[in-house]
This record gives sequence, C-alpha cells and structure tokens, in this order.
Amino acid sequence: MNRLSPTPTILSLLPALALIPVIGVVVTNVHDGGRLLLVEFVGAALQPSLDPVVVQSAWHGLQITVATALFSWAISSFLGILLGVASASVVWQTCVGQSWPAIVIRRFLAIPRAIHELLWGLLLLQILGLSPWVAILAIIIPYTALVARVVSDQLDTQDRRALIALQQSGSKPFPVLITALGPKMGPVLISYIGYRLECALRGATLLGVFGMGGLGIDIQLAFRSLDFQELWTPLWMLAGVMFSLEQILSWFRSHLRSSKNAIKQMIITVALMIILTLISVPWLNAVDIDLSESVSWNAFPWPTVAELKIAFNTLPWIQLVSSTIMVTLLAAGIAIGIPPMGMMLWPSRVGIGVQSYIWALLRLIPTPISALLLLLFSQTSLAVAALALGAHNLGVMGRLLKEGLDEQSNSGWQALRASGSGTQTAWLYGCFSGQSPSYLAYAAYRTDVILRETVVVGWVGGTGLGWQLIESLGSFNWAQVALLTIVFATLTLIGETLSDQCRQHWLGPSKVRPMILDLQS
Amino acid sequence: MNALLELKGVRVHGPRGIRLNNIDLTISSGERIALLGSNGAGKSSLIAVANGSLTPNRGLVLWQGHSMQNLRQGKRQAIGTLWQDLRLIEELNVAQNINAGALGSRNLLWAVANLIYPLEINACKECLQAVGLSTDLISAPIGELSGGQRQRVALARVLRQRPELILADEPLFSLDPTLIEEVLNLLLANAIISPLAIHRTLLMSMHQPDLIHNFDRVIGLRSGSIVFDHPSNELDAKALAWIYRSE
Repeated sequence: MNRLSPTPTILSLLPALALIPVIGVVVTNVHDGGRLLLVEFVGAALQPSLDPVVVQSAWHGLQITVATALFSWAISSFLGILLGVASASVVWQTCVGQSWPAIVIRRFLAIPRAIHELLWGLLLLQILGLSPWVAILAIIIPYTALVARVVSDQLDTQDRRALIALQQSGSKPFPVLITALGPKMGPVLISYIGYRLECALRGATLLGVFGMGGLGIDIQLAFRSLDFQELWTPLWMLAGVMFSLEQILSWFRSHLRSSKNAIKQMIITVALMIILTLISVPWLNAVDIDLSESVSWNAFPWPTVAELKIAFNTLPWIQLVSSTIMVTLLAAGIAIGIPPMGMMLWPSRVGIGVQSYIWALLRLIPTPISALLLLLFSQTSLAVAALALGAHNLGVMGRLLKEGLDEQSNSGWQALRASGSGTQTAWLYGCFSGQSPSYLAYAAYRTDVILRETVVVGWVGGTGLGWQLIESLGSFNWAQVALLTIVFATLTLIGETLSDQCRQHWLGPSKVRPMILDLQS
Repeated sequence: MNALLELKGVRVHGPRGIRLNNIDLTISSGERIALLGSNGAGKSSLIAVANGSLTPNRGLVLWQGHSMQNLRQGKRQAIGTLWQDLRLIEELNVAQNINAGALGSRNLLWAVANLIYPLEINACKECLQAVGLSTDLISAPIGELSGGQRQRVALARVLRQRPELILADEPLFSLDPTLIEEVLNLLLANAIISPLAIHRTLLMSMHQPDLIHNFDRVIGLRSGSIVFDHPSNELDAKALAWIYRSE
C-alpha cells in the first residue's frame, strides 16, 4: 500500500514554508536606518494629511484613476466578450462545423494576455508618449484577452446536450447557441466582469505609480519624499473606493442572482457597462483628461537581426529566467500557504476577522509600494521582491478562501467538534479540507498571475526578466526589449498551460475556468 | 447502572416553532435505545442536543453529571455520532477519515502529519475489520466507495473515537434490506462489547418498528415531546399508532 498520500489540504498548506527562507534573507539584510521610518509609516495611518492641497490633489488623482479604470474596463469587457465568443470552439463547430478558426483566434489572443499591463504601459509610453491613452490601452489590451479566454472557456466547457438536441430539431445555429448557451453566461458575466473592474482599479493605480497618471502619482510622490501622512491620504481614499466597490459588486451579484432570470441578468450587466462607459468619458474630460487630443505616434523602432543577435548573446538568460521563476515560486508559496496556515492557527471568529483586515490592507497597498516599504529596512534582494509580491497576492487569496468557506456548509466542522476535536484540527479537517481542491485550483491560476506580475517588482530584486526589461527600456535597447518581451510572453504562456493542467487535475476537466467564478458566484 | 447522559427540561426553538419541548431523559451505561418518531418529530434535534452540537434554549444537558456546555472539548470524545449524512471528508482517503475520529485526543501536528502520511494504520485496520470491511480499502479515496462502504467507514470512524455512547441518526435510512440488517448488527455488536473491548451505550433513531426487539428500550417522540419511554417489549401497535399519530 502506498501510504504517502499528500492531500489537497496539506498541499495548500506546505507552500507556506516559502516564507521561512524569504524572511531569513530579509532579516539578514536588515539595516537599522529604516526602523524609525517604518514606525512613522504605521503611525501616519492614523493621522493622514488633511491639508486641503493634499486632499484636493488626491481627490483629483482618484477621479482620474476611477474614470480610467471604468472606461478601460467597459471597453475591454465588450471586446473581451466578442472575442471570447469568436474564440469558442463550440460557436464555430455549431456554425461552420469546424473549430480551427477558434484555435487560431485563441492562439493570437495568448500574446496580449501574456504581457502584464505595466509592461504594456511602458511599451506604449515609448510609442505614444505621455498620453491618457497609454494607461487606458495598457489596461484594455491584456484585459480584453483575459476576458475573452474566460468567456470562451466557459462556453466550451458547458454541457452541450441541450445544444445538440436543438440542433437536431432543425434550428439555425445562432438561435441554437443563444438559447442553449446564452442563459448560462449570465453568472459568468456578473462574477467575472465585476471582478475585472476591481482589477482595473488596481491596474490604473499601479500604472499611476509608474508615472502614467492618476492617484498612483500622488502615492509615489508622497513616498519618495517620505511624507507618510501625505501618503496615507490617497491610500485611505483608495481603500474607501475599493471597499465601496466590493460592497456594490457583492450587492449587485446577490441582487441579480435572486432574479433567477439569466437573460435579465445579462441585459442588466451589459446596460450597466454602457452607462458606465458613457459616464466615464465626460468624467475624464471633467478632470482635464482629453481623450480627443491628437496622439503623437512614434513608430516602434524594430531592431535588425544583427542587433537581436547581439542582444541574445549579451543577456544572461539562464540567470534572468531562473530568478524570475524563483521569485514566482517564493511569492506564490507565501500567497497560497499563508492564508490557510493563518486561519488554521487562529480559526476563531476574532482571529479570522483580524486576518481579513490584514488581507484587505495587503490588497490595498500597490505591490511597488509594499516593495519600497520593505526596502526601508532591508537591502534589495529576490526575497524582498518575493515578499512584496507574495504579500499583495496573499490578500487576494485570503479573501477568496474566506468567501469560499463562508458559502460552505459547516456540517463537517460541527461533526468534528461534537467528537471532541480542537478548534484548529476541526477547522483543518472539517472546513478547509472541503475547500482545498478549489483553493489549489485557484492557486494554480494565481501562480500564473504572479508570474506576470514579477515585472512589477523586478527592479527590487535587481535581477529577473522584469528588472532587465525596465533597464533595457530605460536605455532604449529595443533589441533587448523585443527579445525579453518574447521570452517573458513565452514563459507566461508555459505557466498558463501548466496552471490549466493543475486546475484540470484538481477540479476535473469540466471546470477549467478560474475559481474566481466558483468563489465569487 | 450509571447515568451517562441526562436531559432536564430541555427546550429547543427552531425557525418553524418548537423542536424539542420539555425533554426529561436519562440514558444509562450499557443501554441500547431506539428512538422512534415521524419526520420532524425532533429525533435529529435530540441527537444534536445529546452530542452538544445544538445548545438548548432552556434546560440542562449533563454528561456524567457535568454540564455539557462547560464540558472540556477533549471529554466530548466519549460521545460518538453516526450522522445521517455521514459527514465523511471526501478529499481524504479511508485511513485519514477513520483517523479523524481520533482528533479529539491528538494535537495539531499529528493532524497535519496524518494529511501527508496516514498514521496509526493498524488501529485504522482494526476499525475497518470491526465494521466488516477489507483492509485493502485503507488507502481508497472516499469518492470511490459504494453507499454501504461509506456507511461502514463512518461507523469505523466512530469506533476509532472509542466513545462510551454512540448516537446514530437514522443510520438505516436509504439502505436496502440486506444492508439494513448488516449495519444494525454491526451497531448492536459494537454497542455491547466491541472488538476493541469498550463497553458502549447506543441511542439510535430509526423508522423500522419491526427491528425494535433488538433494543432494550424505546423512546417515542412526537412534535418535540417524549410520548413513549418503555422497555422495547412493551411497544405494541397501539403505542406505535400513538407515537406516529398525526397532529
């Protein structure tokens, strides 16, 4: 008998061990200078600057960020749905009897999806210069491809028995598709599209931190001048917006779901997207962002083959790729393992409540700011990059885990408590065990996201593809930029394929879609 | 005989009215008690109160003279419950599920280790044999078991707990006639002197009056109140009609 049988439960907890070497390195590299600054940072949270100039600037920045996020989100959602339908095998099979066009479109969409919005922003900045369209397009391009993938996955994994039955009755392809598959798309639109709005808000803030307008600029400037009271003013404003958005989306989802009418759900969602697009354009104009201003187009300076060869021979590829993978694995370990570990060690209502606030804070602070905070008292290293990236994603994983557990029946917990188990063991066996396969499946998807996000913290680690890319962009070495982008995209596509395999393993072939749909539906 | 469990003036309110009304009940060591009553009579609520998972709105529940509410968590291990929905952990294998019955007397490290490598495998095998299952199933995933096998694994988990009192909530529900006899025999056999040499008491809810002769005592519940509490040989057609009489 093979007794070694690591369960999904333990496989979800073990990655937390990544925290040990990471903390070890961060603590070893600690320097005293930053301790006082860290205390100041924490203390300033309770006393954010209320100076009218600071508040006004943050308010202005917040409006730009929110309007940019709304506009980009609405456009990317529309395009994503259209391209999702166009890249679904079931649609082509039903209409023309072949699925290869879907595969071609899907392959084409993999490239914009593989590149993080920050990287798109930095590339577009070189092409379009300082234009409001940079941040908007940087969000629209990858988000469209991400939405398209989820929509097509959802369409292709649906039960096709009703579709076949309608086809055999002699109906035309489009009415068949709309009738058989349309109603099931309602929950997807509500859950996933809503989730992408939260992502767009985070993305718009992040792009601001890198100089592309909005609240992120206020955050970055305040941090650079180490004025923590001024830093907390935009951070609290962002927290307010994020919290309100979470509540509104949660209310919206539960309200729409209670109607049980999928077509009505879809119509309301699409109508809301149109309204928000129509609101966001004049809103952007009101905060002096003129979308109609002409864009100065600088053609991308395509490198020659000789330049590409030199770039290929110059860069230390093995080191760059291995350090990127290392940061990804360490950050993913922290993000995946710490939430269940924390809940297991402190499973009381108070404990989970406190942890929820910590997760919210970690989600709120943009990853580059977390990295800068860590650099206040530790030297640059891969560990700092992994910790910053892991901490932000830990906030996301923690929230999703709690949502999943809240929707689960507590009968297992009750049974174990009645048989004398302690709270920790009862939580581990009675609560978390039931949730662990879905959690692991989502963890695979999150690892894929973390790999893309390494570009955001690359500069902290002083190595990795992300760091090298920003260095090459700064020195206008387009041959290196082109090669690095291709390698990064290839790496993320390999990661995506592996995460798909893991998801299929944990959830079964019928559930290849991201768990966000399971947890937030 | 010593009183193991005492319910005094227990009253439980539910969202749709009273679930248990003024229950006074004493269960002594070694008794085999059948709990009868129509659906919604309060059988599951009585079992939930008895194992401490449901706190009554009024009244006292005493385990060996100590209040159930203040009972140390580890002491609860003495009360084993065979739940109607079994409550097995689908993500774990048979051995890990059986070991879940021992969590009350083990620490967190043991619990974590069991998730990597099932521990105390011989004890698990003993429990499997006690419920008539092959030890070959020890590492089988729960999802691959048949209904009858799952029922037996749930019972094996209760045995692993080594309880003094077994509470069984309709364990014969949805079983075919052959399985009903097998499961009942297993429960009764393990309730008297188990192969693990523990003297046990059994309180079992059921809907099969024809099997009552296997028990020492019958408790009849109707609308949350005890309407019959006598030795099993006193249960006749009139008493049954009284217990199952509609309101």
